[in-house]
Amino acid sequence: MTGKLTAAGFPEGLVRARARSGPAAALPALEDYALAMFGGSDTLSRETAHDMMDTLRLVPPILMPRRLEKLIDLGREPLYTDVALDTGVGGFNSPLPLVISALGSTNLAGGHIGNAVARQAGRRGVPMVIGENVVPSSGYGRLGDADHRSLRTRISAYCAELPDGLGGVAVQQSTEDADAEVWNLVYSDPTTLPLLESGRLAFELKLGQGAKPGLGGMSVVDAPDGAATEGQFTVDPVFGTGTSRMLRSATPGTFTQEILHRQIILMRNNFPRARIWVKLPPGRDIATAAGIAWAAGADAVTIDGAEAGTGWAPLSFMDHVGLPLAECLMRIAPGDACCIASGRMWEGTRAVKALALGARAVGLGRAAFLAADEDPERGLLNLLDCCAFEMRLLLSALGKYTVAEVGREDLWGLPPAAAPVSTPANPQPIRTIDSEETP
Amino acid sequence: MTLPPDPRTHLASGTTRAVLRIQHRILDTVRAHLTGLGFTELLPPIIGPVTDPGARGAKQVDVDYYGHRYKLMTSAILYKQAALFAFDKIFFIAPNIRLEPLETARTGRHLAEFHQIDVEVAGASRSDILELLESLISRVIEQTLHAEAAALGELGRDTAALGKALLSPFGRRTHGEAVDRLRQRGHDQSSDAEIDWQGEVLLAAEAEQPFLITDYPKGSRGFYDRESEQLPGFLRNFDLIAPEGYGELCSGSERENDYRKIVTRIRETGENPAKYEWYLKAAREGIPASAGFGIGLERLTRYIAGLDSVWQASAYPKVPGVPSP
Repeated sequence: MTGKLTAAGFPEGLVRARARSGPAAALPALEDYALAMFGGSDTLSRETAHDMMDTLRLVPPILMPRRLEKLIDLGREPLYTDVALDTGVGGFNSPLPLVISALGSTNLAGGHIGNAVARQAGRRGVPMVIGENVVPSSGYGRLGDADHRSLRTRISAYCAELPDGLGGVAVQQSTEDADAEVWNLVYSDPTTLPLLESGRLAFELKLGQGAKPGLGGMSVVDAPDGAATEGQFTVDPVFGTGTSRMLRSATPGTFTQEILHRQIILMRNNFPRARIWVKLPPGRDIATAAGIAWAAGADAVTIDGAEAGTGWAPLSFMDHVGLPLAECLMRIAPGDACCIASGRMWEGTRAVKALALGARAVGLGRAAFLAADEDPERGLLNLLDCCAFEMRLLLSALGKYTVAEVGREDLWGLPPAAAPVSTPANPQPIRTIDSEETP
Repeated sequence: MTLPPDPRTHLASGTTRAVLRIQHRILDTVRAHLTGLGFTELLPPIIGPVTDPGARGAKQVDVDYYGHRYKLMTSAILYKQAALFAFDKIFFIAPNIRLEPLETARTGRHLAEFHQIDVEVAGASRSDILELLESLISRVIEQTLHAEAAALGELGRDTAALGKALLSPFGRRTHGEAVDRLRQRGHDQSSDAEIDWQGEVLLAAEAEQPFLITDYPKGSRGFYDRESEQLPGFLRNFDLIAPEGYGELCSGSERENDYRKIVTRIRETGENPAKYEWYLKAAREGIPASAGFGIGLERLTRYIAGLDSVWQASAYPKVPGVPSP
């Protein structure tokens, strides 16, 4: 059942190694210990394409007032094991600054892998987003359509493992999903009542995606399936007459400032007990859109960088369209608002860099699904444990012991306009201390 | 909160009989009053490719209509506007189905299946339609007090309290004023949203007479409520709230009939305008300006009869989430 997924342009081998070995995969191979010499390696990045995020470096200071604070607090020298990674994400409590992202409108997330991801994310109490046109494609699972691909099955798998007080499910809805009234369905369903009553249900308004900003979801369907959904999607025979397969496109939906603002208000009005999340594609006006979302009351804004996505996008878009994640994060100023960053996340350094650029948490998409594909019982748990191990090492090296303390002063390689300044823009006391360390 | 008993027990009870007699009187009075004012009663549609999207949080019921996804009516609002192609003043006694959120099972004010007295008047303004609403409600109360004294007595209704509704014109306050009042009372009411159910009960418990809340913010209602030109961001709409803690009875508005504005407002509600093909075609060709309202029949019955729960005002009650005959 495993090993079927591939992810070109993604460090698949390293992710699978982490899914097998957990934190051990964050270190050099055990058999090399005391034999091989290390230093200046690009082990982590050599399987990955370089983007702006990769060129940034995390730069620990030498003088660490925050470490002194922690030392005083503990009464002993702090270690990486003293780093607390728990954080609030979009109204949920998560033990890690990580969220499991939805995986686009392909069939990848359907079926057993989607449920394996849900079970393991639930066990760790990490928030999970469900999208992927699950309801239009696979049904909700209430009346006879209860198969392993349904939305209800995914939510049930997650909830069955979920510890009290942690995690939560964000159910995505795009313009096409709105026809199926996904949110209304979930909001009035007995399966989700425990999530709703414990404040652990969110609805995520999807404005687009990193892999193809400006376009809607795309998938390949067989002609009969395409015909069945023709009223809802555009079906295009781009693959020629030699195949029954066709390109199916969803509309991206039309947004203006007013439309975005009002849709969020309407969500809050219609679903007062759900958290409201908004997912933005990496558009050039991302700062304006994120600002509108937060001002209208969104509990979280997910920034999907141009490096994000399942890879099912026109080739031209993958290489040439949309702002890179780092640029997106530099353009917005989340402040105390919750921003979730996604785009080729799979290990600790990229995650910590995103946190330093203002994200509250990062989304694992392809990595989570590859890990569950590698080992449906433990793969994602191992990957999460490995990420947590790395993030603890990194934060403690920066002399910081909670995720909220990380800031731009911890990064080297930012363009001058985005680099930290000696007078902090954000007057939080922690940032004030750190700003003194700015190189 | 009690739940309905089995159909035999419910229908054979003296209480139910008294309630249904009152409900019959209400319907009879509504029909007589509106007919006397020149209205035509139409029979409403039950299914259609789209229905009212403005029902907060409730799920629509999908119907497989020869392979097309159709909906049972959550309300016939779009058809009320279309009915004005035939007559200037129309009304329906319309069945509605809304799979309400499960929490509404405990409000005493929600049914998954209910009926609405739906009224629409071409060329009417909000003040015209409010005048009509007030005259209709007053007439219904007056007639019920007069002709159903025995049934009201059987139910133990405080008729003096009910009679206060007739003493003076209904009061009015804006949504913003209602929000301020609730916040004064320590209730955390959003200024962007409809008055929540608990908030409505709090305001209703303070009142001795039915009163109106006007000018709801855009984003709290369906796309068909017209936005105010004088107060952008606010709607030319209203709710009628029953006193004595009974809460909302009726919603209504001046309607948007400008095609461009309708399409934009549909997007503001997150929907795909393509779903509304027939309606948008009509709007593009010109839909009459109008105003109208929908009164929840079972809620009105509950208020007039003084019932604990709205299900008592239905012969075949469907409490949200509760399997029922």
